[in-house]
Amino acid sequence: MDMNLMLPFLVFFPMVGGIVGYWLGRNNKKARNLFASAVTAIVLLGCIMLYGKEAYFMIPNFCGLGLQFSGNGFRMVLAVITALVWFFTTIFSDEYFAKNYRNRNRYYLFMLLTLGATLGIFLSADFYTTFVFFEIMTFTSFVLVIHDESKDTIRAAGTYLAVAVTGGLVTLMGLFMLYRIAGTLQIDLLKEAVYHAENKREFYIAGGLTLVGFAAKASVVPLHIWLPEAYRVAPAPASALLACVLTKTGLYGVFALSGAVFFHDANWGMMILIFGVITMLLGAILAVFSVDLKRILACSSLSQIGFIMVGAGMQGILGHHNALAVNGSILHFVNHSFIKLALFMGAGVIYMNTREMNLNKIKGFGKDKPLLKGIFLMGILGIMGVPLWNGYISKTLLHESIVEYIHILQEAGKSATFFRTVEVLFLFAGGLTVAYMTKLFVAVFVEDGESAKYKGKYMNSASATVLTISAAICLLCGILPHQIQDTIAEISRGFFFAEAPEHVVHYFSWVNLQGAIISICTGAVVYLFFIRKCLMKKEADGSYTYLNRWPNELNLENKVYRPVFLTILPFLGALVARSVGSIVEGIIVLLKTYIFNNDDGKVIPPEDAYFSLYSHDAGARSGFREGLAKSLLFFGIGVTIAMLYMLL
Amino acid sequence: MTETSDIIMLIPVLFPILAGIWIRFIKSDKQRSSLVLAVIALEILLVAGIAIKGGYRFTIWQMNDTLSVTLAADALGAFFACMIAVVWLLAGIFSAEYMKHEENVPRFFMFYTMTLGVLMGVCFSANLLTLYLFYEMMTLITVPLVIHTQTKEAISAGIKYLGYSVFGAGLALIGFFFLNTYCTTTEFVGGGTLDMTMVAGSENLLLWVYFIMMIGFGCKAGMLPLHAWLPTAHPVAPSPASAVLSGIITKGGVLAIIRTTYYLFGVDFLKGTWVQQVLLILAMATVFMGSMLAYKEKLLKKRLAYSTVSQVSYVLFGLMLMSPIGFVGALMQVVFHAIAKNTLFLSAGAIIYKTGKTYVQQLKGMGKQMPIVMWCFTIASLSLVGIPPTSGFVSKWYLAQGGLAEPTFAATGIAGVAILLISALLTAGYLLPIVLESFFPGDDFDYSTLEKKEPNSLMTVPLIIFSAGAVILGMFSGSLMNIIIEISGVIF
Repeated sequence: MDMNLMLPFLVFFPMVGGIVGYWLGRNNKKARNLFASAVTAIVLLGCIMLYGKEAYFMIPNFCGLGLQFSGNGFRMVLAVITALVWFFTTIFSDEYFAKNYRNRNRYYLFMLLTLGATLGIFLSADFYTTFVFFEIMTFTSFVLVIHDESKDTIRAAGTYLAVAVTGGLVTLMGLFMLYRIAGTLQIDLLKEAVYHAENKREFYIAGGLTLVGFAAKASVVPLHIWLPEAYRVAPAPASALLACVLTKTGLYGVFALSGAVFFHDANWGMMILIFGVITMLLGAILAVFSVDLKRILACSSLSQIGFIMVGAGMQGILGHHNALAVNGSILHFVNHSFIKLALFMGAGVIYMNTREMNLNKIKGFGKDKPLLKGIFLMGILGIMGVPLWNGYISKTLLHESIVEYIHILQEAGKSATFFRTVEVLFLFAGGLTVAYMTKLFVAVFVEDGESAKYKGKYMNSASATVLTISAAICLLCGILPHQIQDTIAEISRGFFFAEAPEHVVHYFSWVNLQGAIISICTGAVVYLFFIRKCLMKKEADGSYTYLNRWPNELNLENKVYRPVFLTILPFLGALVARSVGSIVEGIIVLLKTYIFNNDDGKVIPPEDAYFSLYSHDAGARSGFREGLAKSLLFFGIGVTIAMLYMLL
Repeated sequence: MTETSDIIMLIPVLFPILAGIWIRFIKSDKQRSSLVLAVIALEILLVAGIAIKGGYRFTIWQMNDTLSVTLAADALGAFFACMIAVVWLLAGIFSAEYMKHEENVPRFFMFYTMTLGVLMGVCFSANLLTLYLFYEMMTLITVPLVIHTQTKEAISAGIKYLGYSVFGAGLALIGFFFLNTYCTTTEFVGGGTLDMTMVAGSENLLLWVYFIMMIGFGCKAGMLPLHAWLPTAHPVAPSPASAVLSGIITKGGVLAIIRTTYYLFGVDFLKGTWVQQVLLILAMATVFMGSMLAYKEKLLKKRLAYSTVSQVSYVLFGLMLMSPIGFVGALMQVVFHAIAKNTLFLSAGAIIYKTGKTYVQQLKGMGKQMPIVMWCFTIASLSLVGIPPTSGFVSKWYLAQGGLAEPTFAATGIAGVAILLISALLTAGYLLPIVLESFFPGDDFDYSTLEKKEPNSLMTVPLIIFSAGAVILGMFSGSLMNIIIEISGVIF
């Protein structure tokens, strides 16, 4: 292991670059945009140069415990994806923000700061480092989300920050405990500590708490409330960053916990699996009901995160046989990033022209725009899991890992009902993915609508290039699964201490194709018989409108979290605090009323009139007034007597 | 440590006091301000010199065989003295500008300078009698700062402050009589000076004495139950005065608590007793109460004062753990809170000075008008919440490690850590919305009415230094750590 300066460079260079860019941008906007693109390009190169190295770097005593970076395998892959996504979106931002945006300088500054922080998370070798950058990233990315400052945006961004900060503090509690129990936060050493622990109970508690912040960032149900709104309101390049990378930092934490720390731990895996299944289904259902393009994509992200969590859970459950689950979760993680990159930037193109995201308003926008249609199609087919696109590969692996465990259970003669249900739900969620993506595609690219009026050039050539490349990656990964996908999995596997699959997976064999076909058929049924019948209304002129049929009452944020955390708990807390805090004040008030009552400035104890008899003689010898001066005088006399007593 | 009888110890105490009197009679504002700053700067050099050399000792008045008024420079005293002097200088620079819109400026600077001398006396006290003497002086000499504006509100706040402080110090005085009997000496000796042969049999009495002393000294540190003066007195003072009252004077109480706990009673006697648990719970309750009431408060400076109540009790929580790691966390929190709270109060002062706005809901768009001030406010807020890499995170880390490592009262320790985090969340809840509103006023905000209101460099430079300190000390806390370990080596 050599001390590799590249690691701190990758983390701190973008941060410095951001500040330089800010300074540049005060005078020359063009130069700043170019500069930002150049910074991201350099970072991308730097990340690629990590390939094949066992890079390691530490800064002792920084922030107390010191920072530790490591840049091998999976971390390198994540860094490259991060840098690539940043590079593309930065190029795209140039055009996206060109019109009608204030505070662009601020956006570029925080965009680059976020890049550094994100790389800090992905390259961290211990949870302390992860946490430090995790918190930095929360705050810098918040600025990206709140960018356009409309009422909706401020509210959504506030929710994002609240969930992230709260989650972060719970994670901190978990880290306190982990460090207390194990004496280290280094991921590799924690694995050993947990593996050899006799009593795992306290590790479960500590690990569970640590998970909360990461789950909040990955937006696992029930901490998902911020995601659909935050993605919707953020500027499209920022949404792309959020969807492709920032939520993945949460998943990185989940992976580190379930793949490394709780290594082959079935109980832990089961917990992750259950959360994964719920997130996967809920996200898909929300997406089916949404009528806002970016919101559909956001809920779709939610659902895909659920898929990845299912893989992370299966890793623990399968134990030594987890090769397929490991590959599946890594690849879905990676594939989803590329898919969402293309789709969110595509959504950005539509928004930049129409200033609308509602399906009814943008209907028909892409009808005669073959390039945009192609780009969207690549992403959509990828996420649907259609064979020959990248999503299919990873979904197949995830599906196979569940099937594998069902086989294992059957061989052992145990009941596999639960996992059969998981399999069915998995395929069903895949079906819903097909349904909502079809809805999206049909609305924007097939149906006629008012937005068809936008003719002519709708994006410049730089944007077109990055969008095309992002879309092409989705296809390429799907056509060449063994060359590209298997290689990525092989590089990354070490992070999870996993072995290679026992035999090469034949992605296009009939067994594997079956899963995809079931999902696609389910999707077609849902689209034709649910979406078209219940969520769309036929107008008089034969066109359809999309309806938002999601009941307002079913809003976790507005009906539960906000009332509880903003009204009920503060009320109770303040009640307790005020009553505890005013005990002494209360006593003083009582004393003032009953003993030291200042009627005519005289001390009159209520029940013993004789005690204060002399004071009835008003106007007589009153050498000095009652009050502070007198008290101080007596106090002074008291102190003097005490002193004399001690001295003599 | 060789102890010399050196009159140099008298200088840091007497010099600012005499200089303060002189300052009172200077007519020109400019001259006066520069003189104040020069005096404080000299004082820093002096204190730094004493701190580095160490070991000085000077008896001012030998009353009898056992009682004397003595100053001595030990590591703990030097630690506090250096911190106080530096903060004093920065807040002094700020006041030079701020006080331009107040009356009675010479009086303010007189007491401001004199207070520094008295504080040095508190830091360098070598025994309980001296500490008590300077402690009372500290109370009396800061009253003019509180009632500076001489409004009805300020005067009644000043009297409340005086009443609580004198009562608290009185409680502590009770302890002095007992300790004079039960200790071999009331000299501060790391590890405690209890005469165990005399203590045998009356342990419980002494625990009660300790408890009463803690409540008494805890008054100055804003601990329950005698905290109520703090949110009343701090906000009415001029902002630089509130800054040092909150950031520094409260630490006078902390120092007194450290001296009694670690240098008189000793950890061995107190650890694992009911007093420890009760005080831990009191500190926790204060932490929660302070931040909860801050969350509900609408007046910015009062909100900050409540925040002080809560944050200083973090320190007390760490001290009451009576373990080395808790002690490290506590002393770090002392420094980091002083920095952050001064930044916040001075920012609030800059806002009042430039715009006259005092309520949190008036601060919308402030970040566009006073970017430097609000950036400093933001950094200090993040530090107070404990967001890495700012310094508040580091102290919180050690406090929490101390809390979880508590051997006797494990449940209390864990609950304490949980409360630290709940309080951190509340801190985020009462500080971050201010930051957000000021930087993100919304798209319906009328930018045309905006004007640059950034104050001049006399105000911004101290703010920038403070907030840079809040970040850099957190990132590179190694040297601070070494100093604290050296101190804690004496007492454990």
